[in-house]
Amino acid sequence: MIIGLAYDLLRAEEKFLIDAARRLGHTIKPIFILRRIDWLNDTSSEEYRDIGFVLERCVSHYRALSSAAILEGKGVAVVNSYRIIRDCGDKLVTTAILASKGIPVPRTAVAYSKEKAIEAARELGYPVVVKPILGSWGRFIARATTEDDLLDILDFRESMSSPHFKIHYIQQYVDKPDRDIRAFYVWGRVPVAIYRYSKRWKTNTALGGRAVKADLTDEQAELIIKAGDAVGGGVLGIDLMETKDGESLVGEINAVIEFRNTVQVTGYDLAGDIIKSTVEVFKK
Amino acid sequence: MFIKGDKVLLFEIPSGERVVPKLKCPVCEGLVDVPDDALEGELFEHQECGAQLELVVENNQFALKIAEEVAEDWGE
Repeated sequence: MIIGLAYDLLRAEEKFLIDAARRLGHTIKPIFILRRIDWLNDTSSEEYRDIGFVLERCVSHYRALSSAAILEGKGVAVVNSYRIIRDCGDKLVTTAILASKGIPVPRTAVAYSKEKAIEAARELGYPVVVKPILGSWGRFIARATTEDDLLDILDFRESMSSPHFKIHYIQQYVDKPDRDIRAFYVWGRVPVAIYRYSKRWKTNTALGGRAVKADLTDEQAELIIKAGDAVGGGVLGIDLMETKDGESLVGEINAVIEFRNTVQVTGYDLAGDIIKSTVEVFKK
Repeated sequence: MFIKGDKVLLFEIPSGERVVPKLKCPVCEGLVDVPDDALEGELFEHQECGAQLELVVENNQFALKIAEEVAEDWGE
């Protein structure tokens, strides 16, 4: 099968996927989006006629979103789809979808003013976590242990020029062990997961969290599958937080996954799994 | 996309043929080794000066430019 790979930066993950596709006998067509002009009124799919599907791999969320929309407009199958990238790219939307489908998520409030944000935090009880609805690698995520902390954070957010910082997404602080779980969802399965250990409360590997192979309980695997299905399936990275009461809550879901640390510590050929499973889906 | 001579190829080049020459670092002007199978958009760190560089194709020629800085919407 010819597999397109839409990208803006060639990272380790893209190389793993290219290598896996070639190893499995497929042909990769690189689509480097920064050097292209795409005409939206030209809906011809001639260029993509022989492509089975395109893996959307842009590191920039907005480039991933827009290039997925352009490709889908030309009738090309994109993994993940525009809709999934959009829904998982916004924490507010992801949490709303998960909550509406009965998936356990941390208690979360959204407020459009400082006053209402403080009111919500009082109801949640401190500490609380304030997250940008659009953001990555743990940036601009802050914990407020007192109302004073929260006021500082809100003042800072309201002085930012991007309008999304004025939408305050305030979440219950989950007092988890010094780790969280990053599980990978591949077309309805959970083939591999890691714990991310950190002495910091933010466990992102981008911030130095240490990856260790995780063995999920059946309940956790089932929860991951439900969460992945809830946002529309495909290939996802799903974060779980374990509470002190033994409950697991779904944090965020990522639609353009980073997995080099997972491959390194588990030895699992996730790229090969993604290629094989996605080819199976589009063969049908 | 691959460049071979003055031809732009969409798919893989046969192994063993070097088509990417040593390229000039835009920061220190030293020469940078780029593997034959490099793709446009791939990042390289120039060991001599530490610059983060990105492989680009300009006028059907490979070149290196200073890599784009991480933006607010990058990553997961």
